[in-house]
Amino acid sequence: MTPYAFLAQVLREKYDVAQEAISLEATLDELGLDSLTVVELLFDVEDEFGIEVPEERATFQTLAEAAALVDELIQAKGP
Amino acid sequence: MRGRRVLLTGLGFVSPHGEDPAAIFEKICLGESAVRMIRSGTPELGADVLLASIDFEPGDRINKADRIFMARAAQMAVVATGNALEDSGLLIEGRGPEEAEVRMGCGLGGAEILQQAYSTYFAQHSRRVRPTTVPLIMASGPASQVGMCFGMRGPAHTYSVACASSSVAIGEAFRSIRDGYTDVAIAGGAEAMLNDGSVAAWQAVGVIAKEHADGAEASCRPFDLERTGLVLGEGACTLILESEERATARGAEFVAEIVGFGASSDAYKLTEPSVDGQERAIRNALEDAELPADAVGYINAHATGTPAGDPVEIEAIKRAFGAAAQGVAVSSTKSMHGHLVGASGALECAITALALHERCLPPTAHLTAPDPACDLDCVAGVGRDAPELEVALSNSFAFGGSNATLVLRRA
Repeated sequence: MTPYAFLAQVLREKYDVAQEAISLEATLDELGLDSLTVVELLFDVEDEFGIEVPEERATFQTLAEAAALVDELIQAKGP
Repeated sequence: MRGRRVLLTGLGFVSPHGEDPAAIFEKICLGESAVRMIRSGTPELGADVLLASIDFEPGDRINKADRIFMARAAQMAVVATGNALEDSGLLIEGRGPEEAEVRMGCGLGGAEILQQAYSTYFAQHSRRVRPTTVPLIMASGPASQVGMCFGMRGPAHTYSVACASSSVAIGEAFRSIRDGYTDVAIAGGAEAMLNDGSVAAWQAVGVIAKEHADGAEASCRPFDLERTGLVLGEGACTLILESEERATARGAEFVAEIVGFGASSDAYKLTEPSVDGQERAIRNALEDAELPADAVGYINAHATGTPAGDPVEIEAIKRAFGAAAQGVAVSSTKSMHGHLVGASGALECAITALALHERCLPPTAHLTAPDPACDLDCVAGVGRDAPELEVALSNSFAFGGSNATLVLRRA
């Protein structure tokens, strides 16, 4: 599963975000996620992809930016 | 001490006997026990334990996303409060009164969440504890979530006074209205600590009942010669308290009136009860209500079913009541719903309110061989009609020696 697809799935299934609200351009703020919710969401992302998101890198706003960061961290981790 | 009248205008339950007030009271009066033998914990370490647990599902009261930020106790508190607000007619478009105070009792907070965190650290050898752990384990979680979920913006305070927690919460809410600080308060308690780590800790105290020959259901036997201890329960109960002016102005129906609250400390032992401390709480409560002991028709006892505890409460009642002790009915409904610890006082206060409303005394179930050391009228077996019932007490006596007694009157 791609990082974006995983984010979309968790948002739908765990946070009850409507499918039509989820897009690459949507910001987490617009989707109603406060700071603690974002940290909790990242926890699931880290578990799924076996990565660690450094606190100082967690500055993304949109789902596209979040997915890009996760992609980058997966690449950096290597196979 | 006179002040404004305080009326109970709604009750909400998440209890081992269900959520519907009328059905709960009927089961209680029939002497139906919710205690069961349940397999607890992991396959390797678990045990069969007597519990009054709940097959809990928050349903429409809490949306899925919000549940992530609530431990089980907080979820139960929110559902019980929704039920209470609805019962009182105060739930409007999913909100409660904006000015309402919230006062909730809770002993252990998110006990199961703390267990998960320690399991991550010690069993999985990892520091990767979930980010929601801290806000979920707080004992103040239930009060905060109740305020947030229903948009109630008065003070949201938590009372953690072990087994007396929610009696103190109700007592403080009563005082707040009586003394003019607020017109409406949401008071109660929540407890959900039947996770195996907590149960094992309780078993280590040495106060847990053993299975009785008559079956698991009959194992919590306050005042009975064959009592062996308490049975842990879980759940939440919320009471809506309103000033007479507010309740009357909106045409609310009254369940009962709260007329007094008394508290005391033993300053004696951590887990061993004291006649003196309990007697003072009862006396303080009656003095607060400005009522003589012989006005009281029923006492919902704290009596948990431990060999040591029950006779101490009976003796405290005898000393506080004097000659009037022979005329008062006493029962322990813990024989059926178990000991809900931080939620116990609220559940028992609500049952006491229903007893006044229905003029029926809830029984002490499984009381077949009364202990001579518990020689008051302990309403054995099934409920009893009480057409004259006007005033009742609800006792809660905690580990740590904190005692609380509430006085209720028929409204």
